[in-house]
Amino acid sequence: MNIVLRELMSSRKSLIWWSVGLLAMITGGMSKYGGMQSSGQSANDLFAAMPKSLQAIFGVSTLDISTALGYYGLIFSYLLLMAAIYAVMLGANSIAKEERDKTSEFLMAKPVSRSRIITSKLAAAIILLFLFNLITFLLSAMMVNYYDSGAEITSKIAALVGGMFLLQLIFLAIGTSIAAVSKRPKLATSIATGILLLTYILSIAVELSSKLENLKYIIPFKYFEAKYILAGDGFDAVFVILSVVIVVVLINATYILYQKRDLNI
Amino acid sequence: MNVIEIKNLTKTYGNARGIENVSFHVEEGEIFGFIGPNGAGKSTTLRTLLSIIYPTSGSATVFGKDSVQSASEIKKDIGYLPSEVFYYDRMRVKDLLNYSASFYKKDCRKRIQELAEIMDLDLSKRIDDLSYGNRKKVGIVQGLLHKPKLIILDEPTGGLDPLMQQKFFDLLKEENKKGTTILFSSHILSEVQKMCDRVAIIKEGKIIKVEKISTLKESNHKKIKVETKVPVDVDFFDADGVTNLEATNNTISFLFSGNINLIMRKLSEIELSNVWVDEPDLEEIFLHYYEKEV
Repeated sequence: MNIVLRELMSSRKSLIWWSVGLLAMITGGMSKYGGMQSSGQSANDLFAAMPKSLQAIFGVSTLDISTALGYYGLIFSYLLLMAAIYAVMLGANSIAKEERDKTSEFLMAKPVSRSRIITSKLAAAIILLFLFNLITFLLSAMMVNYYDSGAEITSKIAALVGGMFLLQLIFLAIGTSIAAVSKRPKLATSIATGILLLTYILSIAVELSSKLENLKYIIPFKYFEAKYILAGDGFDAVFVILSVVIVVVLINATYILYQKRDLNI
Repeated sequence: MNVIEIKNLTKTYGNARGIENVSFHVEEGEIFGFIGPNGAGKSTTLRTLLSIIYPTSGSATVFGKDSVQSASEIKKDIGYLPSEVFYYDRMRVKDLLNYSASFYKKDCRKRIQELAEIMDLDLSKRIDDLSYGNRKKVGIVQGLLHKPKLIILDEPTGGLDPLMQQKFFDLLKEENKKGTTILFSSHILSEVQKMCDRVAIIKEGKIIKVEKISTLKESNHKKIKVETKVPVDVDFFDADGVTNLEATNNTISFLFSGNINLIMRKLSEIELSNVWVDEPDLEEIFLHYYEKEV
């Protein structure tokens, strides 16, 4: 419990800054929708005129961005990227920082097992992710409802944010497992972020070329896409199961690898 | 009972040398010195004992329990002061010590106050604002606040001024009187000589001697210096038990340990103009361990 509290205390500042980022992204993005709506310009026509590659990069594809929720779906793909970056860094840092800041010698002299350290750090990280999602949900529901209200809107946003939480769990586990195995703590965060960016770029590539369709199974960004959730398809069971399997495997790997390794001092 | 028992402990880092077949034991209630030059493997041994790193082969027990299998259990009664102290930067001293205390199922508040007073440590300061010496004091209080049965110190005096060192040594001696076992690693001979009952000397990853300080000092080590009337070949003195052999002109000096009669007989064979026989200080005995290639 003491380690959980310590983790929460040391991470609160960064969560606050990320929340400011979320606020800017969500209010900024949705106010552009407001501007577009009032000028009578059809955003759908604008994006339809773009080549497919640009559409893919903007994440438009099949979203109907003339509606507030559809436009939010566009912003949401960026929120997903932010959420994933936050999660992967949180995961890698929470394990690697004890070695990076050379506090591992302090911690390891205490009567606490390595697996308890991991459990505490994961618990703290999941609490932080939950808060991140809660903030995202509240800001999103408020902003979208400001332009277009309806019970359906709030529940769809809840579904989107639910998918985001699962995505974050995957990236959290990627981060912790890399930090658990990496003997160089400074490298762990870089590698984890690198993997994230690679999967993000792949997710755009898949959008562009149907030949790459099958790659979607290794790209977490494709698991809970806004376009399907907003179309009312809900979560795809395959991807939910896949997410759970990935998270369980990587969390197990985190425990096992961290247990076996010499700590750097 | 042996509080620490290290058996053939080996730790290699790839091809780099760590420690090789280190074996020694520390008895309950003693202050045990662990001495050797920088990079000899002292910290490696201590970190293996705390399973911060794992042995390549061999094993260690603390309080009779395996240091890897029962790691978190034995640490309940260990207080550890690392050679370089690093703490969570944005914390106050008080918060760090409370965090440290929260790992032990004891109320340590009173002890923290006592120790802070002895070591003259301001609890309300932020750790980032502390000097190296003051950080070291935080480390000392942090290592002692839960009244451990075994204190492991890795180069503990770096950064402390002489007055603080003295207070710290007094504190350790007081703890030792209450039955606390202390493993004291250092490269400073005088402090080991002052503090310890027994000592293990480590060099290039290997233990080269485990001995009582008193034996080391007394052990018929004699510092012998002779002045001869005519130049004598240095090799004449190069016999068993002779070390640190040095010669300048007609003066020859060396350390001798062994049967004193043998060396006296040898001396009687040459024409002497003068002779000095002294007790060597510990430093001279150690230097010979440091320098001699094993």
